[in-house]
Amino acid sequence: MLWLQLTFTGLQVGALYALTAAGFSLIFGATRVFHFAHGAAFVLAAYVFYWAETTGLGMAAGIVLAALAAMAFGVAMDRLVYAPIQRHEGSFFTVFVASFGIGIAVQNVLGMVFGRSFVTISTGLSRSVKLMDGVYVSPLAWIAVACAGLFFVALLLFLNRTHVGMALRALADSPELIRAYGLDPRRLSSIAFALGSLLVVPGAVITALGSGLNPTLGNHVMLISLAATIVGGIGSIGGALVAGFILGLAENLALVVFESQWTEAVTFAILFLVILLRPAGLFGRHATR
Amino acid sequence: MQAYLLNLGVLISIYSILAITLNFIMGYAGIFSLAHAVFFGVGAYTGALVAMSLSASLFVTVPIAMVVAGVLSLALALPALRVRGEYFVAASLGLQVLAVTVFSEWKSVTGGIGGLIGIPPVDLAGYQIYRPAAFFPLALAVLVLVLVATRLLVHSSFGRSLTAIRDSESAAESFGKNVPLIKTISVVISAALAATAGVLYAHYLAFINVESFTLDTSVLVMAMVIIGGTGTAAGPVVGAALLLLLPGLLSYMSFLPQTQIGAIQQIIYGLGMAVLMIFRPGGLVGRSKAKARPRPQDPDTQAQAPASKPAEATR
Amino acid sequence: MKKGRFASAVAAATLCIAVAGTAIGSAHAEDLKIGALFPLSGPNSAYGDIFASGANLAAQHVNADNMLSGRLTIEYEDSQALPQPAVVGMTKLTEVSQVPYVLSAFTGVSKAISTLAQRSETVAVNGGGVGPDLAKLGPYFWNVIPLANLEVRAMVPYLADQGLKKIALVYVDDPLGQSILDELKATLPDVGGELVDAMSVPTNTQNFSGIAAKVRAANADVVYIASYGAQQVQIAKQLRDNGVEAQFASYSGFSVPEAMKLPEADGLLFTTQAVDYTSSDPVTKRFVTDYEAAHDRMPSAYVANYYNAVRLFALLAHALEEKGEPVTGANLLAERKATKSFDLVGGTVSFQENGTLLAPIQVNRVEKGAPVALTTVDIQ
Repeated sequence: MLWLQLTFTGLQVGALYALTAAGFSLIFGATRVFHFAHGAAFVLAAYVFYWAETTGLGMAAGIVLAALAAMAFGVAMDRLVYAPIQRHEGSFFTVFVASFGIGIAVQNVLGMVFGRSFVTISTGLSRSVKLMDGVYVSPLAWIAVACAGLFFVALLLFLNRTHVGMALRALADSPELIRAYGLDPRRLSSIAFALGSLLVVPGAVITALGSGLNPTLGNHVMLISLAATIVGGIGSIGGALVAGFILGLAENLALVVFESQWTEAVTFAILFLVILLRPAGLFGRHATR
Repeated sequence: MQAYLLNLGVLISIYSILAITLNFIMGYAGIFSLAHAVFFGVGAYTGALVAMSLSASLFVTVPIAMVVAGVLSLALALPALRVRGEYFVAASLGLQVLAVTVFSEWKSVTGGIGGLIGIPPVDLAGYQIYRPAAFFPLALAVLVLVLVATRLLVHSSFGRSLTAIRDSESAAESFGKNVPLIKTISVVISAALAATAGVLYAHYLAFINVESFTLDTSVLVMAMVIIGGTGTAAGPVVGAALLLLLPGLLSYMSFLPQTQIGAIQQIIYGLGMAVLMIFRPGGLVGRSKAKARPRPQDPDTQAQAPASKPAEATR
Repeated sequence: MKKGRFASAVAAATLCIAVAGTAIGSAHAEDLKIGALFPLSGPNSAYGDIFASGANLAAQHVNADNMLSGRLTIEYEDSQALPQPAVVGMTKLTEVSQVPYVLSAFTGVSKAISTLAQRSETVAVNGGGVGPDLAKLGPYFWNVIPLANLEVRAMVPYLADQGLKKIALVYVDDPLGQSILDELKATLPDVGGELVDAMSVPTNTQNFSGIAAKVRAANADVVYIASYGAQQVQIAKQLRDNGVEAQFASYSGFSVPEAMKLPEADGLLFTTQAVDYTSSDPVTKRFVTDYEAAHDRMPSAYVANYYNAVRLFALLAHALEEKGEPVTGANLLAERKATKSFDLVGGTVSFQENGTLLAPIQVNRVEKGAPVALTTVDIQ
C-alpha cells in the first residue's frame, strides 16, 4: 500500500509543482524571459498569506493579498528590470542574472522580516484522514488537485478563447503581428507576468497551510518549475503542467526504492536525461539543432 | 591585521582561479554553466584523498585532480554538443544538483556532510605549507600560472576559434572548424584548471565538505565573473575580490545587527547583480552598456534575429 | 575608457576602505578574549541566541567577581551551524584575534574546526553538539556536554521499561544522525528491542509526507526523531498530520522552546543532561537566579553548558595567572589535566582523559510546551 499512499502524496505535491511550472512556462513562452525570480514570487505570496493570517485578517483576505502581491511583483520585474535590460542588450543571460539577483534579495528580505526558521499556520486542513488501510490523505491534497484542474481549465479557456489570450500565444512567435493588430507588446508582456505570477498563489497558500514556509523555499520551487518546463517542453503550458505532476509523483514514488536524500537527485536525473535524449520535452515545439 | 589580509588574499586567489576558468568558457566560448562548483569540489576531494593516502606533494595532487576533473567534465560536455544556451544552463543545473547529492551520499569517499577532516598541509618539494603567510604566495603563484595559461589559450588559434564560435557558430562551422570538439576541449580545460583551486582550498582549510560545492557557490562564482566583467582578463579577479571583501566590510560596520549580516550581504550582491545588469552588463571592468555579453550561441539565434530585432526596438 | 577607469577606481577605493576597516577592530592586550562560533544567522540561529545567553552571563559574572586580571570578552563569529563558514570564522579567531579558547557548537561544525584547533593549539570547547565523534577530535577539543551515545543509552532502557520496544528512527543525514543510528543499533538488542526502520532525511528537506507513510508502514511503538533546528519541528508536525500516532522520542536537541511549543510535540519524551536547577550550591543558585531575572524564564541545559564552558576558562585562566604563566591554549590544556575537579553549574565535575565530562542524564517529557523531568539515569 506504500506506493498507493505515495501516489496520493505525489499528486498533491505534483499539483503545486504543476501550477507553479505552468506559470513559469507561460511567462517564458510568451516573453522569452528566463524569470528565475518566479520562485521569489512564490515565497512572497506565501509569506504575505502567512502574515495576513497571523495578524488576524483571515484566510480569504490573505489569499487576495497574496495574489495581489505576486502579480505586482511579476509586473514590477517586467517593467523595472527586464524591460530596461531588453531595451539595450537583452541577452538571455543578462536577464537571467538580474532575475536571479532579485530572487536572492527578496529571499533575504523575507528572512530578515519573518525569521529564517520554518513557520506554519495551524489548520485542520492539513490533518490527514484515513481513506483506507495505509492510505491517509489530507483535505489539502484534494484542494491542491482541484485547484490545479480548475486553474488549468481557466487558463486554457483564456488562452484559446479570449483576444488577450490568443495575443499572448502569438507574442513569442511573431510580435510584429501583434502590432499589426493594434495591440501593445509591452502591455501584453506585463499581462503574461501578472498571470504567470498569479499561478503561484494556490501552491503558496497550500504550502503555508501544509508543510510550512522558510525563505529558501523559493529555490526549490524554482528549480522544479524549470525542470518541469523543460521536461514538458518549452512553449507548452500544458506540458509544464503534466511534467509538474510527473515530477511530483517521481519524487515521492522514488521513496519506495531509494532513501529520501536521493529524491531530489531523481528529479534532476530525469531533467538531465530529457535534455540528453529528447530536448524538445514531452510536448515541445522547439527542437534543438 | 596582516594575518587577516593574508587569509583574505588566499581566498581571493582561490576564487579568482574559479572565476577566471569560468570566464574562459562563458566569456570566450559563450557556454553558460551553473556547475562550476562541481569541478571545484571534484578537485578538492581528489586532492584531499590523494594527500591523505598517497602523497601531499603538490606535484602529485594537482595533476591527478586535474585529470579527474577533466574526465568528469566530459559528462557536462556531452549536452554541450547538442543543445542551445537555455537548455545547457538547465543541464548544468541538473548536474550541479546531482553532484551535491553524490557528494553528500558517497560517504566512504567524501565523508558526506561530515566531510573530510585532517587534510595534511601542502608539501612543496619537502616544505610544509599551511600558515597564511606561506600559503598566500603559493596561492598567488598558482593564480598567476592559471592566468597566464588562459591568456595564452585565448590568444592562440584555439582561442580565436572559440571566439569565432561564440560570435557565430554556423559561420565557424562553414570554415571547417569542428565546433563540438572545440567546445568540449574548452570545457575540459576549464574544469581541469578549476580543480587546481579545489586542491589549494582543501589544503588551506584542512577540512572540506559538500557545503562548499553547492549551487550557491556556482552562483557566487558566476556573479564574480559577471560583476567583474566577462571576456576580460582583469574582470574575474576584480569580481572575486569585491565579492569576498563584502562580508568583511559589512562585519566591521558595527551599526548593522550581527545576526543580519549574512542576509544583508546577500541582498547587496543580489541587488548589485540586478542593477549592474540593467545599467552596465559589461561588468565593472568591461565596456559600459556595450554588448559585452555574447549571446548563447545556436543556429536558431541567427534565424530568430531578424524577428526579434523589431520587437526589441518597440519594447 | 573613462568609465572603465572609474569602475576600477571604485573597486580600489572599496579595497582601501575594507582594509582600513579591519584596523578599527583590534584587540586590547591586557584583557582576555575568547572566541565563540555560534549560528548567528540561518535556520539554527535560535540555538545561537540560547548558547550566547549562557556564555554572556558567565562572562558577566567573571568580570563582576574580578576573577581575572583584566576584562573577559567574547568574540562571536557566525558559523551558521555549517562547517564551511565555521572554518572561515575559526581561521579568523585563531589567526587574526589569536584567542586561546573557542566555544563551539554542532557536531559537523566542531569536526570541521578541530584540525585548525590542533594546528594552532587553540582549545575548542563544545557545549551543544552531541555526536560521539566529538570525543575523538584530539586533546585540544573538549566537551562539557554528555554525548549522544550516553543519551541514547539512557532513553532506550527507559522506553523498554514502558513496554515500548519497537523503534523507528528518522534521522538527519549528517554525523549527528549517523551516530544516533549507530548507538540505537548497539543498545536496542540489549533490552530486547528492535530498530524496525531507519529513515534518513537530507538536511534541507521540508516535506516529510513520504517519510510519514513509511513510518506508518513500519508499525513502531516509538518514533525517534534525530534532527535539529527547524527540521525536527517539521518532522514532528508532519508525522502527526499524516496519521502517525506512535510515541515520539528525541534527544537534547529537542529542548529548544520553538520545538517544545509545537502542539504536535506534546507528550514527546527526550533526554538531556541532568541539571538540578533547584540545587543550593552557590554557583548553580546564582546562575539560575540571575538568568531568570534577565530572561524571564528558566535556563535550559544548553545555557548551563555554555555558562560552564566560559566559567571553566575563567577558572583555568585564573590559576594560570596566579602562577604567572601566559594564558595560551597549550597551558590551558595542561592546567585542565592537572586539575582534579571544577565547581560548575550542576555540581562538581571532573574530566575524563579524552576531554569529556561524565554526567548523569535525565529523561523529560514535553507537557504543554514546557519540559517536565521524569527520572535521572547514571551512566557509566
